[in-house]
Amino acid sequence: MPKNNETESFLPLTPAMFHILLALADGEKHGYAILKEVARRTDDKVKLSVGTLYGNLARLEADGLIAESSRRPEIVLDDERRRYYLLTALGREVAVAEAQRMEEALAQARAKKLFRKPKLA
Amino acid sequence: MPQNLPFSQRLFRTLVRLLPFDFRTNYEGEMEAVFHAQRREAEQRGGFFDALRLWKETVTGIFTTAPREHWQILRSDCSYAFRMMHRNLGFTLIAVLTLALGIGANTAIFSVVHSVVFRELPYPDGHQLIYLRQQEKNIGQQDIGFSVPEIMDYRAQNRTLAGLVEYHNMSFTLFGHGDPERVQTGVVSSNFFDLFGVSPLLGRAFLPDDEKPDAPPVFVLSYEYWKNNFGSDPNIVGKTFEMNDKVHTVVGVLPPVPQYPDENDVYMPTSACPFRSNKMHIEGRDMRMMEVFARVKPGLTVQQASADISAIGAGLQAAYPKFYPENVGFSAAATPLRHELTKDARPTLFVLLACAAFVLLIACANVANLTLSRMARRERELAVRTALGAGRSRLLRQLLTESFLIAGAGGALGLLLTYGTLELLTDFVARLTPRAREIHIDSTVLLFTLLAALATTLVFGTLSALFSRANVANGLKEGSAGAGTGRQQNRLRSVLIVCQVAFSFLLLIGAGLMLRSLYNLQQVNAGIAAQRVLVLRTNFNWTKYTEDAQTEAAVQKLLDRVQSEPGVLSAAISSRYPFEPEMISAGPAAASFSFQIEGRTLAPGQAPPVSTYTSVSTDYFKTLGIPLKAGRLIADTDSDKLKAPLAVLINETAKKLLWPNEDPLGKRVSPDGGQHWATVVGIVGDVREFGLDHAPSPEFYVPQMQAPQPAALVVRTAAEPAGMGKALTRAIHDVDPQTAVNRILTLEQARYRSLSSPRVIASLLGVFAGLALVIATAGIGGIMALMVSQRVREIGIRIALGARPVRILQMILGQGFAMAALGVALGIAGAVALTGLVKSLLFEVAPNDVWTFSAVGFMLLAAAALASYLPARRAASIDPNVALRAE
Repeated sequence: MPKNNETESFLPLTPAMFHILLALADGEKHGYAILKEVARRTDDKVKLSVGTLYGNLARLEADGLIAESSRRPEIVLDDERRRYYLLTALGREVAVAEAQRMEEALAQARAKKLFRKPKLA
Repeated sequence: MPQNLPFSQRLFRTLVRLLPFDFRTNYEGEMEAVFHAQRREAEQRGGFFDALRLWKETVTGIFTTAPREHWQILRSDCSYAFRMMHRNLGFTLIAVLTLALGIGANTAIFSVVHSVVFRELPYPDGHQLIYLRQQEKNIGQQDIGFSVPEIMDYRAQNRTLAGLVEYHNMSFTLFGHGDPERVQTGVVSSNFFDLFGVSPLLGRAFLPDDEKPDAPPVFVLSYEYWKNNFGSDPNIVGKTFEMNDKVHTVVGVLPPVPQYPDENDVYMPTSACPFRSNKMHIEGRDMRMMEVFARVKPGLTVQQASADISAIGAGLQAAYPKFYPENVGFSAAATPLRHELTKDARPTLFVLLACAAFVLLIACANVANLTLSRMARRERELAVRTALGAGRSRLLRQLLTESFLIAGAGGALGLLLTYGTLELLTDFVARLTPRAREIHIDSTVLLFTLLAALATTLVFGTLSALFSRANVANGLKEGSAGAGTGRQQNRLRSVLIVCQVAFSFLLLIGAGLMLRSLYNLQQVNAGIAAQRVLVLRTNFNWTKYTEDAQTEAAVQKLLDRVQSEPGVLSAAISSRYPFEPEMISAGPAAASFSFQIEGRTLAPGQAPPVSTYTSVSTDYFKTLGIPLKAGRLIADTDSDKLKAPLAVLINETAKKLLWPNEDPLGKRVSPDGGQHWATVVGIVGDVREFGLDHAPSPEFYVPQMQAPQPAALVVRTAAEPAGMGKALTRAIHDVDPQTAVNRILTLEQARYRSLSSPRVIASLLGVFAGLALVIATAGIGGIMALMVSQRVREIGIRIALGARPVRILQMILGQGFAMAALGVALGIAGAVALTGLVKSLLFEVAPNDVWTFSAVGFMLLAAAALASYLPARRAASIDPNVALRAE
């Protein structure tokens, strides 16, 4: 994917931002779901607090990387205060660009024999 | 917040309040829900520690997020504010400059006042330090000093002092370090530095043994002298120098502390001073040349110490009536040292302080006015932003940021201004108090002025904006900028203008009075012809001239040598000269003596006559152009007092006061209780020696040959004298290379310098007042223009209904004029109330001088009329068709 300047200007993302974008990559989620997903995916290594989560959501929303979804689940299942967030096209681009950036960095580290490719399990 | 919520929820809400308002509006509910879920989960997992960890993470998260979010908003507010400031560049510049001026002037002058008047002396328990004083009030002597026996008595008899030290200052010639050099020497008790609590930087201070009569002479150097003349030589201790024919060893160097009452180069113990240590001084109860400082015992007050000193003084008077004549009004007292050091500076500083405060008030009023007008113009913009969803607090925050930026920029510029002017002010204040060295920019003061500026912009800008914005719909309707609030704002603006005019009036009056005073001073006839006269302050190495005859011979040889110098018209030697800087600051009392007139007895309680005196050589009067009024001048026949009868010349004031109805020529006076008598041989014109503002006092001139005191060489030259200093110094060194030549001044320079204090005050006030006038005039012009633009429709209707343009012109002019007139009226009332403040600084001008008041009033009214004229003419030329169509 050709990187354009706008995408580039967001890089590098903070780990928290990257994980939030990643969490939204497979569909829209509300705040608590994002939090859970990040914790699960990283074996609790990345634990976002409420403040950090919403600070990052606010930033990502203001930058146009995520947006509020208009979808509402059925009332019974839902807490009315919940809002759902989705990844925008720009957000997806940025997440991909960040992943590529990390991959390049990884490749360079390997080239320097800093560590080996993990064996496939 | 409902009270029945669980504690954890309440705590969470409190935490969330740290976040910016807009952020909370957006996310608070969600955050609470998420936190709630997290908490439930932690409880289910079962533990107290899980809950604790959750709290820890949550608190940390919010504490890191909140500053970031606030910073984000601040950044966007700032960039918006910068854009707004850039768009209104005129407003921004004027507001910033006005504030800078107010803040700068105030910070500079408050810093000076605080450093000099209010701050404690920079010594441990500085408030316990006192200055002792003996006075002879009936003959106008406020401070006669102390003699050695008196110092011993006060030291032995007091019960309130922890220590008492003496001090006097001499200038000696130092040999062994380049050219012979005159050094200012403080002669002090051995415990002088201990009393002040000063420990030396190098070596040691004086020890009691140093003060014993035959102790080897020692020096302590001042920090500045050590730094400037010895390049901060770390091995200075132990070096020796010759002074007064004795070898002195340096034992220590002082730290950089302020020195009171004089800045000295070196210090020596009393036993090393050849004057202080001779028998005449040690035993003479009336040989008073010392100053005395003391430290009050802990727990006692200065008042108690002063009472103690007074009682001892009264005791001395009773015990030694011969030395404390009944009629002179002798008394002794103590004052806080801090007070004593600043007494000359206080009146001037308080006037300047008042002026600076006025400038700040005017600046604030002006910024308030500017802000009000700008807010009126921004109403629409704010209304649009509100309509687009900006919260009230968001707007408030935006406006606060703008105010902060303007006040901040003004403060920074003001600080630069302060740095720029502080050196000038310090130079000026140094003439009034030895504490000038302690002056530095005071952070409290800077903060205060900054806050004052900030408060002004905030109160007037933001609040008025919020009130006037109350009606968003109105704000959005083009042209109808809320007539009611508009009128209210105009009234507020008018009040501010009136205040500005009133304060400007006060400043202009101050400046006007000072200028008139300065003009009067410059017109004063000093009684001398000061053109083309050069004065060289000379110091003979007195240890070589122990006998009067030797000195007389040296004086004669010097005069002969100088008179042979090409370009010299006449030359004289004297003990001092008119406008000598030291004499101007010391005043006539310092050079006074009391005497008796032959054949007159004093009534009981009557004070003896007092006069100043100068010892002069034959050509003194010719050189300075002092006219002879009666009798004769000093002649060569008035030589050695052993051979010729003592002669004295008096000035006209002495004749007027002492011999009002008789001819003084041939009358005899005695300075020493009848041991010696001198005959009045001539009367010369009055000279204002102690400054142009000092009315001439009785003055005696005695011949150098009868009382040799060579301290100044006065030379009248054929051409411009300034270039002759070198040749004359060479001539002096031809006669005796050990003579130190210190200060070379033309008499005109000395005269000019003597007026530097009133000149600085007049210039400062002039600058303040000029700026105030410009600000006030611009303010009147601005508000009149705004009023006209708001009333275009009304004026259009008036014209359409037949009002003649001249009427419109008169109406607008009249309004501007009315504001100015009201301001002037208030200003007059204020000026009359404040006259006491400047009275002591004025010379031959009444503080409520009608001419100054009229001129200033006229000037302000004319400026107001001028400022209103442009808007008035615009109003008069409004085309009713255009004005009404625009609606």
